[in-house]
Amino acid sequence: MPHLADCRIMSNQEIAPEHYRLTLHAPQIAAESAAGQFCMIEVRPGYAPFLRRPMSFERIFNDGFSILYRVQGEGTRLMAMMSSGQVLNIQGPLGKPFPLNPTYQRHILVAGGIGIAPFPALGDAIVRTLGKTPEIVIAARTERLLLCEKDFRQMGCRVHFVTDDGSAGEKGLASDGLLRLNPGPDCVVYACGPMPMLKAVHAVCAARGAVCYASLEAEMACGDGVCLGCVVESNVEVEYERMVRVCKDGPIFDTRIIRWDAY
Amino acid sequence: MSISLRVNLGGLEMKNPVTVASGTFAYGEEYDQYFDISQLGAVTVKSLSLRPRAGNPPPRLVETPAGMLNAIGLQNVGIEAYLKDKLPFLRKKGCTIIGNIYGHSPEEYAQLAQRLEAEGGADAIEANLSCPNVHDARTARGCSLVAQNPELVRQYTVAIKTATRLPVFVKLSPNVVDIVESAVAAQEGGADAVSLINTLLGMGINPETRRPILSNIVGGLSGPAIRPVAVKMVWDVAKHLKIPILGMGGICTASDAMQFILAGARAVAVGSYVFREPTAPMKIVQGLDDYCRRHGVADINQLVGAMAV
Repeated sequence: MPHLADCRIMSNQEIAPEHYRLTLHAPQIAAESAAGQFCMIEVRPGYAPFLRRPMSFERIFNDGFSILYRVQGEGTRLMAMMSSGQVLNIQGPLGKPFPLNPTYQRHILVAGGIGIAPFPALGDAIVRTLGKTPEIVIAARTERLLLCEKDFRQMGCRVHFVTDDGSAGEKGLASDGLLRLNPGPDCVVYACGPMPMLKAVHAVCAARGAVCYASLEAEMACGDGVCLGCVVESNVEVEYERMVRVCKDGPIFDTRIIRWDAY
Repeated sequence: MSISLRVNLGGLEMKNPVTVASGTFAYGEEYDQYFDISQLGAVTVKSLSLRPRAGNPPPRLVETPAGMLNAIGLQNVGIEAYLKDKLPFLRKKGCTIIGNIYGHSPEEYAQLAQRLEAEGGADAIEANLSCPNVHDARTARGCSLVAQNPELVRQYTVAIKTATRLPVFVKLSPNVVDIVESAVAAQEGGADAVSLINTLLGMGINPETRRPILSNIVGGLSGPAIRPVAVKMVWDVAKHLKIPILGMGGICTASDAMQFILAGARAVAVGSYVFREPTAPMKIVQGLDDYCRRHGVADINQLVGAMAV
């Protein structure tokens, strides 16, 4: 069940140009959270901005959690100026976690840009609860925006870099990186990033018979299934179920249920 | 000092004047995680239609200065699924229920009201004659909502009143030249109260892509940005109507709610702000009690329309 809690900022560090890691003291929320879930952050009192900001858990600790964010709009610009000791009101945990299944031989994570955000927690969960070591494709526009390499090396992961400009790793797209890992029916792929990237990753997985779970992002008002503002189109024929809520039915979806031709 | 917050909204007994705006509270279950929703004067459910609706394609929502634009398009489970899957929870909680309905004709509204009454699905009906997101903005011009045509408002209200003995509230649109005309038409049609305001029509364009931000192109603007417009419309309507008003539009605090009450609203609804602060409706109930105490008023009804001029 989600909580509403005032949480103290433990740290707020710039980890790459315009990219930050914010760590919050939130023992109650952390105790009930799992990889793939998210929280809604009240950036500041008043109505500018009006809505909370949805943020995936990057890592979950005993006494709190961290998030990763890229400065993109009004909310994240304000967040970037915050310092430790300040207090933020947090609603969470929200949404469904990544499903973990021990029957797969290989667990492959595919991250595009800030889409790496929920993966350190997922990597931890795969290592701890399944006793397996995931492989990861980290894709970004350029070398300086490849995040979290150290985190995954420490887990013992094979890390594959892909950049749009070829400044590090393979030059190409996240889906090219995945293809290079030769995924098959013994694989489960977890993907997070922009919609066109997820569409391409889904296509690779569908062609190779690998199951794929994507963590989706959408503009949200409530974060808890009420407003119906964050929906994406699914393949489900039932009229009312055709639109699925990223916040409540997701944010993690088996990519086979998304109507990709709409994106 | 004992304070009474009880109000009678056109025949609907409410233990306090606070409800929620349709579509911002679903069918109550989610927000019951944050506070006991039976503490509200009433729960207003998301618009119900005869058949389930998928609503508009995404994107449907965008934040705006001190508010948001939405074009959900009345996605809802449909009345039968509401009665079967959603109503039992609200009844078990002991909530007073305002059943918001949406149809394509006076007959559909009548049928919805009848069905809700027959199944104990609501304690009052709120007829949504003013949703801005259910027509095609590419072709629509001028009057495309029932609430924009006073004669239609009267006809629809008569049809619903004939179909049910439950109190009937008519939800009006601010997207008109004179909302008093719509309100008077509702009163003439036999409405027991009017709800105002629904969202203001608005739109946004992404200059980089040159495309509309919402797939529906236009949407409804809500949040504190529209509050002064709503307060003024409540004040205008209150001067000309005998039936009570359910006031809404950007209410975030008890102080905001008091503006509506002083302007002439018998009850108030909290809308989009519940997305930001899920406990806001309950805090407003407490805040109205505090306000009455501070001002030495024993009965909140004494404050309805009590703006000092």
